[in-house]
Amino acid sequence: MYYYKSASLSVVLLPATNTCSEMSTRPGGWLQGKTVRKGGGALSSSHTRSSTPQGVQSTSTTVFGGGVKDASGRTSEFFSMDDQCPVCKSDRYLNPKLRLLVSSCYHKMCESCIDRLFTLGPAPCPICNKILRKLAFTPQTFEDLTVEKEVAIRRRIAKEFNKRREDFSTLRAYNDYLEEVEDITFNLINEIDIPQTEARIAAYKAENAALIELNIQREEAYAQTLREQEEMERRERELRASQLRREEEEEREEKEKERREIIDKLETSDKDAMKLIAKSRANAAKRSSARAASSSSNVVQSNARLLRTRAAIDIPDVPHVPFNDNYDCYEDKYQLRSGGYADFFSEAVRKDREGIMRAGGYKVEEAWDRALRFAVASLDLPPLQDPPDADLNSLTKDSSGDVIMAAG
Amino acid sequence: MDAVEKANAERQRRWVKDKKVGEGTYAVVYQGREASTGRKVAIKKIKVGQFKDGLDMSAIREVKYLRELKHQNVIELLDVFSSKTNLNLVLEFLDSDLEMIIKDRSLVFLPADIKSWMAMTFRGLEFCHRNYILHRDLKPNNLLIASNGDLKIADFGLARDFADPGHKMTCQVITRWYRPPELLFGSRYYSSAVDIWSVGCIFAELMLRIPYLPGESDMDQLKTIFRALGTPTEEEWPGHTKLPDYVPVGQFPKTPLRDLFTAASADALNLLSKCLIYEPRKRIGAGEALTHPYFFALPYPTFPAKLPKCSTQLAARPLDEVDGNVEINSTGPGVKARNATLKRKLTSPDDIDGEGKRRSIARRLDFSRQTPGS
Repeated sequence: MYYYKSASLSVVLLPATNTCSEMSTRPGGWLQGKTVRKGGGALSSSHTRSSTPQGVQSTSTTVFGGGVKDASGRTSEFFSMDDQCPVCKSDRYLNPKLRLLVSSCYHKMCESCIDRLFTLGPAPCPICNKILRKLAFTPQTFEDLTVEKEVAIRRRIAKEFNKRREDFSTLRAYNDYLEEVEDITFNLINEIDIPQTEARIAAYKAENAALIELNIQREEAYAQTLREQEEMERRERELRASQLRREEEEEREEKEKERREIIDKLETSDKDAMKLIAKSRANAAKRSSARAASSSSNVVQSNARLLRTRAAIDIPDVPHVPFNDNYDCYEDKYQLRSGGYADFFSEAVRKDREGIMRAGGYKVEEAWDRALRFAVASLDLPPLQDPPDADLNSLTKDSSGDVIMAAG
Repeated sequence: MDAVEKANAERQRRWVKDKKVGEGTYAVVYQGREASTGRKVAIKKIKVGQFKDGLDMSAIREVKYLRELKHQNVIELLDVFSSKTNLNLVLEFLDSDLEMIIKDRSLVFLPADIKSWMAMTFRGLEFCHRNYILHRDLKPNNLLIASNGDLKIADFGLARDFADPGHKMTCQVITRWYRPPELLFGSRYYSSAVDIWSVGCIFAELMLRIPYLPGESDMDQLKTIFRALGTPTEEEWPGHTKLPDYVPVGQFPKTPLRDLFTAASADALNLLSKCLIYEPRKRIGAGEALTHPYFFALPYPTFPAKLPKCSTQLAARPLDEVDGNVEINSTGPGVKARNATLKRKLTSPDDIDGEGKRRSIARRLDFSRQTPGS
């Protein structure tokens, strides 16, 4: 029953294994931590947990915790570029949308694998054969799954072992209690004497049911005050912001007024114009410096601002021009013969016996083109006249059966 | 003093070395200026005496090809002269490279910026290919950026001319992440399409802001390519199974580019997919790419002067020649690609401050160890 109640609260614990130091510095504090409200998704997950038959998931070892939320109530999900689903082996490089979830036995698999395996009801985990359900998968928060597990266990234990310093007469008794809690947690995490430890927890629960309930209520009250405090701070911030805006507005108006004043004075008064202006300027400077001192403005260099300064350089972008050098085109001075050339030098390439030149991208046409262009450009030779047709045909119909690269 | 020496001395007088800005395996780079105009230049002094085998191959290549090429988007070799036993190349002074810009997280790229860089890269490359020169080492840190925003192709240490029939070329070129599959399969006869693949990878990197196909070894590179683009079939790439170093790497399905490049326009993805076609003969040419609809569609390519610039511009490193064109242990440029480490070298500004210094010392130590032998 208290499960449901506590579901609206989630206690964020430090993932560090050594929480003892934390406990000793803040009496009764390690349960308090920072309490934040869970979103709707979390509620539904706790709902499924309560409706899960106890036998299937064997919650005897751990109550499955799920993702840890940050202060804003969002789960920050862990993922890395090296993620790979251990079941189907697909990885983030191939599938950027890959999302790995963690099972209650702390094995990762991707969403599509989960869909595939568990849509038809509870099925064994492909890694350890524990019976799992589809809804019992949660996002991963920590890179190390043992940390994930420890956080879940500590969260569960914290719900039940929620006594405070005030509940003990002596510090010694409180420390003994904390020691016991740490003992139980350690056993659960390292899976030592699980049945015995579970029995200890059950005994403790039965013994202290009333106190646990009371402490949960205290916890809730504390969270409530915390929320109220936050709300107040927020309102204060808004107020400050609006005040700042108003001040700015006033400043602008004042400047405007000043200018009008100077003009009026210059119109009506017969004193020296320069003196008048200097005097009112000095006044204005004094006022503005006083204002600047009272309100410290912080200038944030944002990316948007950087972009704006860049755009300020006043050179228009021009449409793209493919070539911007004066390219003397030789292409119209010659034409490659369509059948290619039966020259001696390119014979090996043309009859690419091993087929290694084709796949490498070597183009014999480029060699011909180069020879022709150099001849036209530097030696000013006209290209060769068409040879007799017979020559060409013998080339393309090479009887040896070699691959002919330059076939048009 | 004969006429040649006199001419050389005259040339030497035209340039003034100001300060040393970097040292590599086979060259020391100085910042300098033209004596008459004060124009900033980079002077690369090639150590001739250090090597048993004479002048380094990549220096010869650099002089041989850069002497021929003069284009707005190709680094300009202003002069070559000798001093004592050293050879000096006078190059244009350029202060940053595309890799620094990609890595500078404070910069925001607009689609028009990427278009502008791509257009300049393709123009420079088209000019090389038009003159039958393969660059064979295109990568973001070989695309230098001038102070007015112009992009210039640099480092012709691995370049060679192509389209002479019957000559085998080495397949151990191009930095691994930008190397096309035909070279990974050991093809000795290839064409300008190898450079286009590299440009495709650079295009993808500009959009992603991380290297697109970062393989850890040559085998892994093939696997990475196939994982990203699907394993080629015999139809897609006829004859590739016959290539010398062909090995089946495994079957990977095709994933649409759209899945990874979610924000890219359809034109951009079309051009990218044409740069990354497996069959080299079908891969788009540089000239063809320049007339692709991507470049004509709105937004217009950003005017070069307005392109984002590195805020932390390097005073101490005008050119990537700081780390030399050749790895310390290699015997020639051909080995470079094989030895290329996964970590890029000496490129980001903080590298210069911290690790860079240590590295240059380590190199110098290495030198002293080599010299007694020579």
